[in-house]
Amino acid sequence: MTAAILIWRGTSSKRVKILVIVISLLATLSLVRMWADVLDLTSRGTISAALGLAVPIGLAGLGGLWAERAGVVNIGLEGMMILGTFGAGWLGWQYGPWAGLAGALLFGLAGAAIFAVATITFGVDQIISGTAMNILGLGFAQFFAQVAFSDAPGGGPTQSPSIEALPSFTWSFISDPLVDLHREGYFIVSEIAGFVSGVFFRLSILTVIAAGLFFASGYILWRTPFGLRLRSVGENPHAADSLGVNVYFYKYIAVLNSGMLAALGGAFLAIASSGVYREGQTGGRGFIGLATMIFGNWRPGGTAAGAAVFGYIDALQLRDANGTAMRAVVLLGALVLFVLAVLALRAKKYQTMFALGVISAALISWFLVTTNLPKEIALVAPYLATLLVLAFASQRLRPPAADGIPYRKGESK
Amino acid sequence: MLAVELSGIWKRFPGVIANKDINLRVDVGTVHAIVGENGSGKSTLMKILYGMQKADEGTITVNGKPIVFSSPSDAIEVGIGMVHQHFMLADNLTVLENVVLGSEPSKAGRLDFGAARKRILEISNSYGLDITPDVLVSELGVGDRQRVEILKVLYRGARILILDEPTAVLVPHEVEELFQALNGLKAEGITIIFISHKLDEVLEIADAITVIRRGETVASLNPKQQQVTAEQLAELMVGSELPTPETQGSTVTDKVVLSVARLTSVNKDGKEDISNLDFKIHAGEILGIAGVEGNGQSELVEAIMGTRAATGEITISGVNVSNLGTRKRRELGVAYIPEDRSRLALLLDAPLWENRILGHQTKAPNAKGFRLTPKLAKEDTKTIVKEFDVRTPGIDVLASALSGGNQQKLIVGREMSSNPILLIASHPTRGVDVGAQAAIWDHLRAARENGLAVLLISADLDELIGLSDSIKVILRGKFVADADPTNVTPQELGNAMTGAVKAAS
Repeated sequence: MTAAILIWRGTSSKRVKILVIVISLLATLSLVRMWADVLDLTSRGTISAALGLAVPIGLAGLGGLWAERAGVVNIGLEGMMILGTFGAGWLGWQYGPWAGLAGALLFGLAGAAIFAVATITFGVDQIISGTAMNILGLGFAQFFAQVAFSDAPGGGPTQSPSIEALPSFTWSFISDPLVDLHREGYFIVSEIAGFVSGVFFRLSILTVIAAGLFFASGYILWRTPFGLRLRSVGENPHAADSLGVNVYFYKYIAVLNSGMLAALGGAFLAIASSGVYREGQTGGRGFIGLATMIFGNWRPGGTAAGAAVFGYIDALQLRDANGTAMRAVVLLGALVLFVLAVLALRAKKYQTMFALGVISAALISWFLVTTNLPKEIALVAPYLATLLVLAFASQRLRPPAADGIPYRKGESK
Repeated sequence: MLAVELSGIWKRFPGVIANKDINLRVDVGTVHAIVGENGSGKSTLMKILYGMQKADEGTITVNGKPIVFSSPSDAIEVGIGMVHQHFMLADNLTVLENVVLGSEPSKAGRLDFGAARKRILEISNSYGLDITPDVLVSELGVGDRQRVEILKVLYRGARILILDEPTAVLVPHEVEELFQALNGLKAEGITIIFISHKLDEVLEIADAITVIRRGETVASLNPKQQQVTAEQLAELMVGSELPTPETQGSTVTDKVVLSVARLTSVNKDGKEDISNLDFKIHAGEILGIAGVEGNGQSELVEAIMGTRAATGEITISGVNVSNLGTRKRRELGVAYIPEDRSRLALLLDAPLWENRILGHQTKAPNAKGFRLTPKLAKEDTKTIVKEFDVRTPGIDVLASALSGGNQQKLIVGREMSSNPILLIASHPTRGVDVGAQAAIWDHLRAARENGLAVLLISADLDELIGLSDSIKVILRGKFVADADPTNVTPQELGNAMTGAVKAAS
């Protein structure tokens, strides 16, 4: 850790810093894996599952990012995501998965358009219209699922017939040897092997597309004139307007994009994760996506990291039959908090340090006195993790300045 | 050579004539000041020149060519740029991003940061604006932000700049810097139209002055050729003799209203914002605090009001309030005019009568027991509006609809109508025009005669010297000198404020 801090201090390069963080995390993970003796912590199955669980959350988060960067709080992501699952199911089972994808985008776009008209053109409170969007999305999907799927072969009132799978890649020549390497249990090496083998195992093309969208969003929003204008609308729309930027136009583009991204997350759930549309399939992932976006400080990289953490813990929890992996997560949490406490000490934030230290110590004692965790606790673990992370990260977060404020042309103050 | 010529400009709004037959001639490469009271029509005139509004009659000629504007972009096209009083900057974007926004240089669809940076530095260097492109605007001070605004306008190719009350938000040394920058611009042949009602500053910077009163041009002066004083300008502006803040005789009694002992407040960096302050204010006494802004005045006021943690002892008419909350303190009869009216004194999105309740929500006429009495509060608001000459269409309009001066009169009215024994007044006449200023002074003087104790903080040294019965100078959180308002000059006081010399006491 000392070495990490020294390197951190010695460099100003962002890439080196990210590398330091990644390696420190891998080392911590490795230590936890060895101490708790849970090989599955970084196995191919876990990583592969984590990736699949992270993508829909990440896409919802990215959708939230687009909208909020233009100053619109899109709490309707969940509703748009549901519309996406329905669109994917409805067109997907009839015309194949690619049509399903298009259907999801179309339905997401339609939902976002309604939301955009309400919030941007009519200036309705964004939380209220977003909540309405969620109710509308759910109700619409439930009703039309009954209409469309009840009599369909293999379908039912709450479920579509199965959708053909999208192509996915397994590169056995890379993945399989690494699985063997992972089983050897070397420090760090095994973790890297586990991660790489997981990535090249049943990698859905949608995951690749999602990753591409993250990079594209980062590039468009931060490197192009279009992106600057869009962000300026979220920071100070009156200033943007005074320089000839069409505020409404950029807000519309942002919200429509937001809806399509959330719906794509929904499509992933329907097509890639389960192969059917099922009622309640999203399970609040739209909201969790929003949380990961906040955790990620309204940036694509951070949002992706947040989604990854979430997907990872969710995957562990799902694969954890006897509670030993979740016990390891407790230790992992304790170590991460301990590191944060040390950092707080260096920054002379004694209260934060104290709080973090106490929680960390409590977690470690918990880890020591238990051998496995009850399933119920495992279920809430991802949510608990989000809550904790948000509680401690929120001090450093900086939302767009005009986020959530309806814009009226000419009402400058 | 004329840069801008406006002739015979008329602009009518329902019920008012904002501009009647205004004539303005601005030479190329000069600083031309337009002075007038709030509401005299100078802002309307500038909006017409910048294409934001259309004149009903009259012609606009820019660089010798007659022009009709239909939007600001037309004005920008002929090289006119406007620096608004309220900055139009996005805090969380960098200086570079703020400047290029809307006319970004790009290369293959990508924002060309290199070219933008080069261009910004070029402009910054050639006019001496001293701007760093890659910092966030949120890290800049007010003076820097203003120069970013100026650069923004220059970046778009403006040769004629309109500055709307540019010094209203600046502290003295920032004003100096701004004037240096303006002189730099002038030397490069840029024409500057400078709107202000701060007459000393106008006399310092302007090559020509046009005075506007009630929508008419009443005088065009050339201070470089003829002798013009601030008093003459003010009289031209108001159309009558200038009010002064002078008080008559002493009304100081020996009854102590506010007594402060060893007052110290430590900020979160562990520094003492105010340290060990001791003073007393008697009934009928106005104690003025002089100091360059940011030397502990705000902290002192907040400590007395109980909105900032402090140690020491504060006694209000015999009651030790050190451990009481703000409401308890106010209920003892403390009135408060905060320094930032839109942030601390008003709810801008609430109607006037609700604002009247604010801060006095436990007392008649606003409340009876635990219940608010909106009816009585509304009646009382009407009285305040009438007595304090708040110009408003009614008491149901939102506070944000009022001009700054009228907002301030409403606040003063609210605070004075609760029969206070102590008034804490921070910059009570900041940003208000001469007429409203005189009215506020009148109310302060009358209250003083009735035995009100006042703690007055003001950056306007004439006001401070004129109104106060005694003055203390604050520097880095400590009282460094006392001054006698009967014989101290603003210059001496100014020197004491910067710690240069001790004021004569």
